[in-house]
Amino acid sequence: MQFLGTDKYYLNPELKEIVNISTAMEKPLLVTGEAGTGKTQLAFEIARALDLTLEEARCKSTFKGEELCYVYDTVLRLNDSRFGTGESGRDVNDIWDYLGFGPIGRALLAEDRRVLLLDEIDKTDSDTQDNLLDVLEDASFIIREINHKVKAKRMPITIITSNAKRELSDPFLRRCYCHHIPFPSMEEMTEIIRLHYPEISAPLMDSALAIFYHLRQQGFEKPPATAELLDWLGALQLDDAKPPITPDKIPFLGTLLKRTQDLLQHKGVKRENV
Amino acid sequence: MFLPFFYQLRDQGIPISLRHVLEFYQAMEKGLALDLDRLFILMRLIFVKKVEHFDGFEQAFAAYFLGAEGGELPKFSQQAWEEKAFRRWLEEEMAKGSLPDDSLERLSLPELLQRFWDVVMEQRGKHRGGHTWVGTDGTSAFGHSGADREGIRVHGDSLHGSALKVIESRRYVDYATSATLRAENLRQVLAALKHMAPAGPLTELDVDETIDRSCRNGGEIELVFKRELRDRIQVIVLLDNGGASMRPYLDLVKLVFGLMRDHFKDLDYYYFHNCVYGCVYSDQKRLTPYFIHHLVRRDPETRVIIIGDANMAPTELMLSNGAMDYFSKIRVPGRDWLVQIRNHFAHSVWLNPIPRSRWPRESQTIYQIGEIFPMEDLTLTGIRRGVEWLNSGAPPKRARGQLAVGS
Repeated sequence: MQFLGTDKYYLNPELKEIVNISTAMEKPLLVTGEAGTGKTQLAFEIARALDLTLEEARCKSTFKGEELCYVYDTVLRLNDSRFGTGESGRDVNDIWDYLGFGPIGRALLAEDRRVLLLDEIDKTDSDTQDNLLDVLEDASFIIREINHKVKAKRMPITIITSNAKRELSDPFLRRCYCHHIPFPSMEEMTEIIRLHYPEISAPLMDSALAIFYHLRQQGFEKPPATAELLDWLGALQLDDAKPPITPDKIPFLGTLLKRTQDLLQHKGVKRENV
Repeated sequence: MFLPFFYQLRDQGIPISLRHVLEFYQAMEKGLALDLDRLFILMRLIFVKKVEHFDGFEQAFAAYFLGAEGGELPKFSQQAWEEKAFRRWLEEEMAKGSLPDDSLERLSLPELLQRFWDVVMEQRGKHRGGHTWVGTDGTSAFGHSGADREGIRVHGDSLHGSALKVIESRRYVDYATSATLRAENLRQVLAALKHMAPAGPLTELDVDETIDRSCRNGGEIELVFKRELRDRIQVIVLLDNGGASMRPYLDLVKLVFGLMRDHFKDLDYYYFHNCVYGCVYSDQKRLTPYFIHHLVRRDPETRVIIIGDANMAPTELMLSNGAMDYFSKIRVPGRDWLVQIRNHFAHSVWLNPIPRSRWPRESQTIYQIGEIFPMEDLTLTGIRRGVEWLNSGAPPKRARGQLAVGS
């Protein structure tokens, strides 16, 4: 099974190889990098390219890890034991009727191979990450209530993303393959834009790219990334913007710079230039 | 195979274990390293877990596999490709006739190297080259014409930005310089600092209590919910950023403070100079005051970390007009302010960048402040013990033989 990229996603050859190696070695792949470099998108594209079902877990700081595997609905069972199951077909004596499975649980239980995305794992606290360790390690988890071990039928292709806001623990890292997606170079960015806007005119793209990389070097708190650039280009095209665009008159600046402070700084820079 | 390379990785400060080495062999069995580029990626995936180690890895890889010396990458010229193993292989191949005599003219060097590599991978047990696969010494030129090619990829354009190209660009050098071993350990220590308290909405079903109440109710179900335990830690850092006495410790303090700021979601920090008089400041230049009587109205559960050398003239600490600032109207000695802070925040600690062993010699004020706040130094042990203080509000067990402050 080889992942070769898709028509909508520019795949760096290095990253392609990495995905294929971690798939072959059945190891979770931890992707870090700036926001907007396509970390999350990678999992979607793998699922699409290989025609596999995607199980997606968007992490929250309140996650304990277990609910990603399974949830035991005590309240429903209590309710059923008191008021009867009615037409639902549930059996109060059978705990399996009250177990729901989270994305990890579904990915492990499925007959087919699945793509498992754990998005923004750094949002969870380190305890949760530790809880997920064993699950990732041998692709199994234990349903505590009945001491039943669920073991993966097919090892899922696991993609974990992190914005690296906070550090992940060393044991966690040891169990993953880690890849830091560097920001795309100008040539790669050209490829990416071509995939999204095949009809864009070369002069517009060139001048837009020049401004984009210029803005990125200004040391903004939130420098514009790929996603912002694509939004901006979309807006420029809708507006029929004519190149060249000059740094002191950037249309739709709000699509590139999101923070007030950055916007102010940008304007300040301009004033100095004048 | 490659064992010396694994030790080179360790020399570069990359923590690799036997487990990784075995995993690497497993991957080789699966045939995942078909060429040098894939080997490069595979090794990096298996051995390098942190972006700050990338550069070290790339340098080690270049040195071992591409013959770069001392972390410096040479410009690869045609003459640079003579290495014993490669030459011997070439001679053998020509003698066997499996490579035609004119192959040197027909095949490019990258192609030759690729073939060489293929053979090596096939009979990896028999490898008998030196430390490097492709050396940099020697003068004879292999490969076909073209005298002046600058840099050469290990094999043509067939795959990837080849390993060498990747290495040459040294994308990760920034990360390497900004990291120290200390930073890593410190993160783990800080992770231990937390304050679990019931918080948030009543969402967690208290199963025991529910069953208990339902039974008392004669089977009529009564659901009891409780708040879940969450980490509610709040941290205030007070930072001594004034005076020449703190200057030697600037880097160390910056590192620790930077990590703290990254680590805790709920962290406020204020600055002071030498000792606290009436207020601390919310900016580095100490222009915007934040008064102590505000500070001591904060949640007493807040963890307070004071970072400073506690090294001042005794008058600054003890006298009512001791404040460094001549225009200060404050007539309460610094010591009283510190006591006030300490009394309000049971979970507080003073971290001193001066190594513990030098405390008795530096200044008597260290001893005096050490009586108010638990004091630790900015070593890993010191911070770990500081975290214990903060978590429990009580002194951690002192290792035997360690001196108490001032003793």
